[in-house]
Amino acid sequence: MNLDDELRSALQRQEPPPDFAERVMARVAAAPPRQAPRPWFRLPATRWAMAMAATVLLAVGCLEYRRYEGERAKSQVLLAVRIAASKLNKAQRKVQMISHRSNS
Amino acid sequence: MKAAACLIACVLLAVPASAQEVKWNFDKLAAKASDTVDVSLSGGLLRLATKFLSDDDKDEAQVKKLVGGLKGIYVKSFEFKKPGEYTAADLESFRAPLRSPDWERIVGVHSTEEGETVEVYVKNAGKTISGLAIIASEPKELTLVNIVGPIDLDSLSQLGGHFGIPEVETEKKK
Repeated sequence: MNLDDELRSALQRQEPPPDFAERVMARVAAAPPRQAPRPWFRLPATRWAMAMAATVLLAVGCLEYRRYEGERAKSQVLLAVRIAASKLNKAQRKVQMISHRSNS
Repeated sequence: MKAAACLIACVLLAVPASAQEVKWNFDKLAAKASDTVDVSLSGGLLRLATKFLSDDDKDEAQVKKLVGGLKGIYVKSFEFKKPGEYTAADLESFRAPLRSPDWERIVGVHSTEEGETVEVYVKNAGKTISGLAIIASEPKELTLVNIVGPIDLDSLSQLGGHFGIPEVETEKKK
């Protein structure tokens, strides 16, 4: 048998067995459904990292807001004390001026 | 029975609150003022402010000590563009809540030349001062101060010379 005959024999059209299509379809149905790959943001590690980042951000935000409130309150206290002390001093000065006048 | 208990509780809670801050009505003046300073610090905010006052800075440490035991600081200062924007009746309405026996006027000075008046009231609780109120009026300025809680007037006046407040020359220094 020469090469031409061998090729002809090898490439000769062969009909599939009659139940071939059914068997293929049965195996397809029996195979477990292939899961789509999870997006990166749904990975457990990413979720944990995002939760941690959110917690840290919230904590930092709270601390910053508290610091801002504290600094604001501090400047208000200083302003209030400054005003109160200046008015008290003004009254004191006037009392002293009057007592000076009455002494001299 | 429950309603009566609630009513009593409400009254008991309301009395100390009303006995603290002086209730002044500023609505009329606020509308006329060209500039207003409004400081209202009570409870938690005052305690928070105290935490932010430095112990290392001499002035701030002094203020911290002064306001440490206070329950509230309220300051209203109005500046007007021209004189006569507030009346004697307005001043009288501010004096009205500062009546004896709760309040006592310890200083009242009036300068006809400058048209200035400063009145200092204290609220006595036994031997200590539990509150301070100042009404200071000038032709174009009106300032009201109410400090709630035990206040040391000497310490407050000692702040003269600090924060840009002119120092009072006392007899001892002469």
